Order: sequence, then structure tokens, then C-alpha cells
Amino acid sequence: MNRTMEVELIRLLHGELPEERARELRARMERDPALAEQYLRLQESWEGLALPPTAPVLPGFAQRIAARARTEQAVPTPGWVRVAAALALILGTAVGAGVGGSWAPADPVQEEEPSAVDGSLAESYLTTLEDLEP
Amino acid sequence: MGADLPTDPGWDALARVAAGDTGAFTALVETHQERLLRLCERLLGDPEEARDAAQEVFLKAFRKAAEVRPLGQVYTWLYRIAVNHCLNKLRRRKLVRFLRFETDPEEPGAPAFDPPDAGPDPISALEARRRWQSTRKAIAKLPDNQRAVLILVRFEGLSYRQAAEVLGITEGAVESRLVRAVRRIAGEGRSAGFKTEGKR
Repeated sequence: MNRTMEVELIRLLHGELPEERARELRARMERDPALAEQYLRLQESWEGLALPPTAPVLPGFAQRIAARARTEQAVPTPGWVRVAAALALILGTAVGAGVGGSWAPADPVQEEEPSAVDGSLAESYLTTLEDLEP
Repeated sequence: MGADLPTDPGWDALARVAAGDTGAFTALVETHQERLLRLCERLLGDPEEARDAAQEVFLKAFRKAAEVRPLGQVYTWLYRIAVNHCLNKLRRRKLVRFLRFETDPEEPGAPAFDPPDAGPDPISALEARRRWQSTRKAIAKLPDNQRAVLILVRFEGLSYRQAAEVLGITEGAVESRLVRAVRRIAGEGRSAGFKTEGKR
């Protein structure tokens, strides 16, 4: 199938072909099974596309956005602050994800076993507490 | 839609929004929230992210209300903001994954997509889930510009002309992107086994 014919079949499928040309093409498909087969294949892949139903709008959605708009209206953020915030976000993401994420230490630090409480230290602490009590 | 319908009453509401009328803004959001949320969810594939995106889109509209030229339909303008916003989000998502050396969850081998059940009949529910999954995979493999055109035409039911208006490109460009997308999906479909189900 040449490109022009493919484009025409797709236009026909999408209802974008002028009515007269659409009639001609349908008549041609009746005489040409290979062309009809091509059309059917395109139709199958197009109509076979399906996405799940989308989530419903949460109650109060519009009111929440309007509240945010009111806040912005009351305290307008200067343009340079938004630009600076965006730059900081991009830099932060790049540094955090790229550098921090990929630079694993060459020699992983061994996790220290929880050490036993130093007896003498604890003892002196308790003694101090006793001294403080009336 | 488009150039032959220059007087969408929504522009009056938008003029009131530009003058600081937040009541008019609430009404504008209520009018368009459903379709905008749906578009964002279809582009991003995640309801939570779509809600945030739609919120940002409406706030952008609020900020830009004073600058916009009243041409065509208000929803076309909102759609344009939404498509640009969502495509930027997708690009950022890809960049972050790239920087973290993560795999794309839409790629083969990634954890399976888990949509809600389609109905009480387990066979048809299973079939629907299989189709949703194949569709999402096929769409995820498309370049951003083809993905946007496909979603606008196939799932939002826009004509080539309306899609062109939303994306700020010519009808010819819409057609060309769509042809490439369909060709690619038809190729995918032969291996995934898409089946016909009713007319658009």
C-alpha cells in the first residue's frame, strides 16, 4: 500500500475524508479485497485502543483551586521568585537524583553494632541525678 | 469549533476572571474540570498526578486570563495549557528516571499496570484489562507529539482541525503525526493482538 492510500484510509477511518471521496474509496474496497483487508487491519488497531475509565472529580475540587487562586491574588509572587524556585528545583533534582543517587560509596561503610552502654558513664549519670534530687 | 466560532461565552467569564472575580473562576473550573482531568489522566496515566496537573493548569489559566486573546473556544485554550503542562511533566519524569538509572514502568518487563475492574463478568473484565494494558504500552512507546495527537483524536474525540488548534500546529501536521502513530500501533497490534470493538 502506498503512503497516499494509507493516509486516505486513515482519513476515512477518522471520518475526515470528504463524503464523495469516501464513497469512491468504499466502492474501490468492494472491488479490491487487499485494500479492504488493509482498511480492516487499520480499523482493528484503531478501535482496539482502549483506556480505563478515568477517576471521578473529587467533591470540592473547584473550590480548592479557587482558594489557591485567591491566596495567589492576595500575595502575588514576583516573577523572579518563581524563576529562582524553578531553577532551584531543577538543580536539586539533578544533584539529588544524578549525583547523590549514583555515587554509591566505593567501600560501603559497615553498620556499627549497637554498642553496650558504657557502665561507668551510666553510673556517673545516675549518681548526678541522685545528687540533684532533694 | 475554532475560527468560525469566535464568540464562546466562556471568554466573558474569563474576562471576569482577569478582573479578579474568583467566583467566575470557580464556575470556569466547574465547567471544564471533568474533561480537563480526563485529558490529564489519559496523558499522564495516573489519577493522582492528573489531579495535581489539572489544578496547575487551572491556576495557570487564572494567571494568564488577562493576557489571552479571545479566539476559538475556551476549552481549546485550556486543553493547550493542559497538553503542554502534561508533556512537560512526562519529559521531567523521563529525565528523573534517566538520572536515577531507573527503567520506564511502561516498558516491557516492568510491573504490570493495574486498572480497576471493568465489570462483573470476569471474562470481559479480563479482556478489557488486557486491552487497557496493551493500549497503555503502545501509547507509552510513542514520541510525545504523536501521543498527544492520538489521545486528542482517539480518546477526546477531537477532529484534526480541533487537535491542530489545541496543539498550535497545522492540520497536515496532525495528520502526519497520526499516520505515524497509527502505523506504529498497527505494527504493535499485530504482535499484541488488538481486537475490534464497535465504532468510534
